[in-house]
Amino acid sequence: MKQKSKAALLSTSAWLIILIFSFPLLWMVLASFKTQAQIMSTDNLLIFKPTLKNYSAVFEQYNFMKYIGNSAVVALGSTLGSLLLGLPAAYAIARYKLQGLALTILVARIIPAITFLIPWFILFSGLKLVDTFTALILTHMLVGLPFIIWIMIPFFESLPQEIEEAALIDGCSKFKVFLRIVLPISGPGVITSSLMSIIFSWNNFLFSIILAGEKTKTLPVAIFNFISYSEVNWGGIMAAACIITLPIILIALVAQRYVVSGLAAGALKG
Amino acid sequence: MRTAWLDKNIKWVFTLPAVLFVILMMAFPIFYTVRISFFEWSMSAVTPPRWVGLDNYIELLNSERFWQSVKATLYFTVLALVVETVLGVAIALVLFREYKGKNIAKTLFLLPMVSTPVAMGLVWLLIYEPTIGAANMMLKWFGFKPLEWLGNVNQAIPSLAIIDIWQWTPMVCLIVMAGLSTLPKDPYESAEVDGASAWQKLIYITLPLVRPTIIVAMMLRLIDVLKTFDIIYATTQGGPGSASETLNIYTYMLGFQFFKLGSASSLLVIFFTIILIFTLLMIWIRKRLGA
Amino acid sequence: MNFRRKPYLTAAVSAVLTVSLLAGCGSNNASEGSTASGSPAANGDKPFKGKTLSVYIGSNSTSEYIRSQLPEFEEATGMKVDFQVFANEQLSQKLSVQMTAGSATPDVFTIRPLEETKLFEKNGWLQPLNDYASKDAAFDLADFSESSLSSATANGNLIGIPMLTEQQILYYRKDLLKEAGIEVPKTLDELKAAAEKLNDPDKGIYGFVARGQKGALVTQLSSFVFSEGGDFQNGDKATLNTPEFIKASALYVDLLKNYGPPGVLNMGWPQAMGVFAQGKAAFFTDTSTVYPNATDPDKSTIADQVGFAPFPSGSSGAKPYNITAWALSMNSQSKSKDEAWAFIQWVTGKDMVKKLQLHGTPGARTSVWNDPEGEAGFPQGYIPVIQESVKTAIGHDRPQVIKVGEARDVISEIIIKGLVGEDITAAAEKANVEFQKIIDNEKAK
Repeated sequence: MKQKSKAALLSTSAWLIILIFSFPLLWMVLASFKTQAQIMSTDNLLIFKPTLKNYSAVFEQYNFMKYIGNSAVVALGSTLGSLLLGLPAAYAIARYKLQGLALTILVARIIPAITFLIPWFILFSGLKLVDTFTALILTHMLVGLPFIIWIMIPFFESLPQEIEEAALIDGCSKFKVFLRIVLPISGPGVITSSLMSIIFSWNNFLFSIILAGEKTKTLPVAIFNFISYSEVNWGGIMAAACIITLPIILIALVAQRYVVSGLAAGALKG
Repeated sequence: MRTAWLDKNIKWVFTLPAVLFVILMMAFPIFYTVRISFFEWSMSAVTPPRWVGLDNYIELLNSERFWQSVKATLYFTVLALVVETVLGVAIALVLFREYKGKNIAKTLFLLPMVSTPVAMGLVWLLIYEPTIGAANMMLKWFGFKPLEWLGNVNQAIPSLAIIDIWQWTPMVCLIVMAGLSTLPKDPYESAEVDGASAWQKLIYITLPLVRPTIIVAMMLRLIDVLKTFDIIYATTQGGPGSASETLNIYTYMLGFQFFKLGSASSLLVIFFTIILIFTLLMIWIRKRLGA
Repeated sequence: MNFRRKPYLTAAVSAVLTVSLLAGCGSNNASEGSTASGSPAANGDKPFKGKTLSVYIGSNSTSEYIRSQLPEFEEATGMKVDFQVFANEQLSQKLSVQMTAGSATPDVFTIRPLEETKLFEKNGWLQPLNDYASKDAAFDLADFSESSLSSATANGNLIGIPMLTEQQILYYRKDLLKEAGIEVPKTLDELKAAAEKLNDPDKGIYGFVARGQKGALVTQLSSFVFSEGGDFQNGDKATLNTPEFIKASALYVDLLKNYGPPGVLNMGWPQAMGVFAQGKAAFFTDTSTVYPNATDPDKSTIADQVGFAPFPSGSSGAKPYNITAWALSMNSQSKSKDEAWAFIQWVTGKDMVKKLQLHGTPGARTSVWNDPEGEAGFPQGYIPVIQESVKTAIGHDRPQVIKVGEARDVISEIIIKGLVGEDITAAAEKANVEFQKIIDNEKAK
């Protein structure tokens, strides 16, 4: 009996916590289906006639499809680039205990991003790369790369070394061992760290304000532009906010196991 | 032959590209920033930067607005960090147990931290709206007086901290839960034999064991809380007055609103130093108390 | 590290050369080939075929309309326009970054003359337009009001063509005033009395709303200050601590603090207008150009009850500001200056200004204002208020220094401290010292 009530209390409090934390997102979704007048009136919070007007406005007037595409290109591009540089680096750091290097790369996590903006703009203008995906991908890699290395070091450390050693004795080169043996069993780690990199690139606002133009404008900048000079259109803003968070929420739901371990992995051995 | 060379130097071949990339992308901006901090320059194409030595630093250290922004940064950081840690550990202890739908709960719990901060800032702007926002409606339901939230000098930083706490407590929580799941069983069994209460088990066994994990989580949060930009920029832009103008926002204002590149750069150098000190402090604490 | 140094002289000389060279190429150049209709190359010979032009425009009441008219311009000139709209702060900040890097884009952009003219001119970012404008008879520069041109001039260089003018006016709720039997306030004292009378927070109606946000509030405070006989500065002397300035500030604080809605410290014009448009305030003072947000039924719950009145008079009469809010400028580093001029000339030419005005956007051309048709785009009762306002208006609405943004923040402190209950006189004294520092610093260079 006592056990039962305890369990009930536990699950009630657990779900209460979840509800509280989910509330702002629920509120966002609700408001995105309300007209301006419905948002303004405080009578019917939960019962109202939903409208799709905000969504159609966002897609028709503001070409949001294009921004979604831009964000996706930058997120995937920068993640691929980060994997290419980050996986071998993390492996070497893990195997050869190069803690010093790990720290150097961590510095990138520590410096305020604002530091980069003007120098980068000058650099990229000189290279004629402003408003190109190249510039955005390169800059976003500075966010993704430390993440990938940070998560992959403990992952590689946790792999049993016997297999690698056996392969080496069999005459495989170290490079081959990494390519043929280590990488194929690193799937979970790679998925985890890639998801982190994608999410943080998708959410990045500061770099795009300066380095993106009309061709490459990403979602966070688009939604910020959405608060136009002439009105506070709450419904539209909420619809845009829903559109920008939806893909990420889907990723989190589908790949929750990886995302959870990703956020926790770097911390365990860190 | 080539493979032999590759194998001998593999640690460099593997790490150099990444390290070079990071250094290239960061060294130029850092060097540039430090250099400009000794000049006065309004981004002019006509008037070149003028050497002013340490004037920018002296001017900053004598300005009220700078100290206000240091205060705002520390206030926001301490508030968010303490609440996130305490709340994160407490919630972890609840969510870590077995209950119905644990996996779904865990996933839902993830959502705030992966949601785009700029968008979330705008969502909270609506929640905090004094006349139509959900925050004051809740207060009314429970019979409290409505607040001004972001529109009040004294409430702005706590209101912003709530946004950060909402977004990032789940992260602290997840890390702590991961730590909890690796705890050994023996100490609990022997405590059970000694007839320890649940509370005693928590204080004497659980918390000391997950302490390293908590410190790591705090460290990760500290680095990011200090630099919080998106949610503040999307909501108050440092207002009302200068109440929520943190170092990061003030830097942005100096650089992109007032075009004082020299001042902005010297502020960045100071800001960076502050972050570095904090980080080193955390690393030291971790060494003393941690793993 | 080399900083770009582009001697200003060369830019100016090369511009003059370009123009005079052009003057010799007959009907194939935009500035001469244009007709009175204002559309370049009305004879349809697409003078800029295959060229592209990059335009950054501040998001205001004109931007969307201009975007809708672009195809016509592209068709006539043969060029392609890359047209981007930004919110004010973002535009300012994006421009500064691009100009710093010596970027050739955007070719054309909007500036807020009173905010940016001095700094941008000092930094050599803007192409003087005197020659372009005066060479072009059909453009008729003299048609622009004197005051609008002067605000877009720095060091004798015309660095922008006025696009949008605005004045501070008083918005009020016809129904509420009628119910309470209150006349439209003609003086600031009457405004205060009326706001007090109509203030009913329990019913969710506040007597008065205006901007309380740092920086943003300064322009709307200015008309209060002018009407009480004060100003931000007298030449190189800061005058924030004069009795006139303090009296005006105290009134502004009083109105917002005692009869205003909660959260006013975070209100720029969109939020303050929002309160009014949702029927939560009896009076609202702000710039004339934002009126569509109050009168458009899609955005406003009180669209049919909006009244307009000239800014009430203080002890020195009614002195609202009347300024050029936006002007179109050309990037001095632009690689397509003739195309850029063709665009500016198209947007600010008589045709388009008239179209915009029919669309409800007040321009700066006298001929359009005098054309009865030019008034058709505005709600009833609006035009007389504007005409009344302009008579006694002041040509600036913010401090006249290079570092406007910084000065605005300093001045804001007086109101903000007042709103949080600190002593206004002490705050004004302190702000005055700070503001004087800014002025002196700029003089020293």
